[in-house]
Amino acid sequence: MIKGPARVSEFSTTSSSLMTDNTFRLLRDFIYENSGIYFSDTKKAQLENRLSLRLRANNLSDYDKYYYLLKYDPQAGKEIRALFDSITTNETSFFRSPPQIQAFQEKALPEIMEKKGDLDNKVLRMWSAGCSTGDEPYTMGIIIKELLNERLSEWDIKIFASDISEKALRSARSATYNEYTLRSVPPEIKNKYFMPNGTSYKINDEIRMLVELQYLNLNNTKRVRLMKDFDIIFCRNVLIYFDDEAKKRFVAQLYDNLNPGGYLFIGHSESLHNISRAFKLVHFPGALGYKKE
Amino acid sequence: MAQNIFEKIKNIEDLPTLPSVSMDVIRLAQSSDISINQISERIYTDPPLATKVLKMANSAYYRRGSRQIDTLHRALVLMGLSEIISIITSVSALSILPPKNSESASIRNSFWEHCVATGLIAKYIDKKLCMQNKGKEFVGGLLHDIGKIILDEYCHDEFIQSHEMSKKTGCPIYEAEMELLGTNHMEIGHFLMSRWNLPSYLADINLWHHDPSNAESKEITALISLSDILAKSSILSFGDQNSCYVLKDEDSWNILKGLGYPMDDLDLEKMTFEIEDMSAEVKTYIASITEDDKGAGKSE
Repeated sequence: MIKGPARVSEFSTTSSSLMTDNTFRLLRDFIYENSGIYFSDTKKAQLENRLSLRLRANNLSDYDKYYYLLKYDPQAGKEIRALFDSITTNETSFFRSPPQIQAFQEKALPEIMEKKGDLDNKVLRMWSAGCSTGDEPYTMGIIIKELLNERLSEWDIKIFASDISEKALRSARSATYNEYTLRSVPPEIKNKYFMPNGTSYKINDEIRMLVELQYLNLNNTKRVRLMKDFDIIFCRNVLIYFDDEAKKRFVAQLYDNLNPGGYLFIGHSESLHNISRAFKLVHFPGALGYKKE
Repeated sequence: MAQNIFEKIKNIEDLPTLPSVSMDVIRLAQSSDISINQISERIYTDPPLATKVLKMANSAYYRRGSRQIDTLHRALVLMGLSEIISIITSVSALSILPPKNSESASIRNSFWEHCVATGLIAKYIDKKLCMQNKGKEFVGGLLHDIGKIILDEYCHDEFIQSHEMSKKTGCPIYEAEMELLGTNHMEIGHFLMSRWNLPSYLADINLWHHDPSNAESKEITALISLSDILAKSSILSFGDQNSCYVLKDEDSWNILKGLGYPMDDLDLEKMTFEIEDMSAEVKTYIASITEDDKGAGKSE
């Protein structure tokens, strides 16, 4: 999926209006109920910045009025789409949302590998659904390589990475990244897996070989059905682009795409409450995961 | 060694205790026909404690607007009995066994962060499920791990080793304690609650918060057990931070469900996000109490 439209400027506050804590809570609950995305207290300024553009577009003087527009205006449907566009970014980076990455690295992956190793079924299939410029699947690749090291060759491993944007996929194929997207990468990992290339860095072939990039529209149910037997699926910050019905259908499909014992990870502040009860919700330290039993 | 440490702790003569007024108030709160006047009169018999309670009532954490709360009676009317009991327990508990050096200060700080978090989460769930524990849940959360602070104080090295062992091997902290100390924080906490002559639900919570199905006060022990788990899986853990939980498989969850609480209606994701947001609240709460300590020193 394309992760939203062109990035909304973070620096465009309207000087006239501030968001009160109370209005923040109302807007946060509204957004959560309608999109499943939760804005934590620490993200109040971010929400304020992003919505300031919507205030301006609607010619409104304060956030309370904006909330009433969303809640009661007959035209609200259209505005809700615009609101979602403004709160999502197409930002992606290596090792994004550390507690989730840690849950993947230290809990989910070792658990699955141990089980499969015991059964002598050393096949691992992962899917980064909505991979954008490839930061996420390559991060998964690095983590797997770090975990297995020379035992990597004993395993048959494939990380499928799909997106709807050809442009993002081209960028993912080039596997070349700037300093900013690598900001969360530990220095020793950076030295090990990235080759400096002018002002940018290219990820090494060993990791690239683990990742198979492909064009996929997640709305294409028939194609999505063919994605089978995954152990782990990352589908972060993608669900917001679906309406409730499509979300339910798509998440039910993801459930079927997983092997028993497999995990689905959605965005750090995203929720499947009211979307699916099929999964078992697992509380990892600082992160949630959805397990298929 | 096993029996020895428990025996050793039992025999310590100057084992810390809460101020007698605090313990009285926690006991008084058990009876249903207690009046605001009785409570405030009892608190006033301990003037330093009364001062601390008023300071906390006017602290950054509780203060709403600019109006000063200047009498306990007013505090009780405005804030309610359960809130005042929570405050009394907090200001009393957080001042026992003050740290001796910076290492122990950092241990004590993360210890109390976890306990306050457990109390606040218990309060939050109590409200969500309309349980009406009336402050008992906060007191229970705050004191559920009190055995740990005793172990840290009197068997520091072994206590630290048990934390390291749990981290390294992934075994629960109480198993590591049992292995290295021959006892665990639940037994010590249970003993302390009985020694202090506090209501039996507190002894129960201490002994059974890792196994609530055995508790007599099942409901509140299950609530604290669940809150403890949620505090651990947020950033507010104290030891045990490596654990993963499926809440719906936990005894505590199923006990509450069995008691008729609508557990399946809870939006667990939203609850988890809101609990993550509480970490700032926990820090303000503790800061308000510590600030109060400094201030109280001057006025006493």
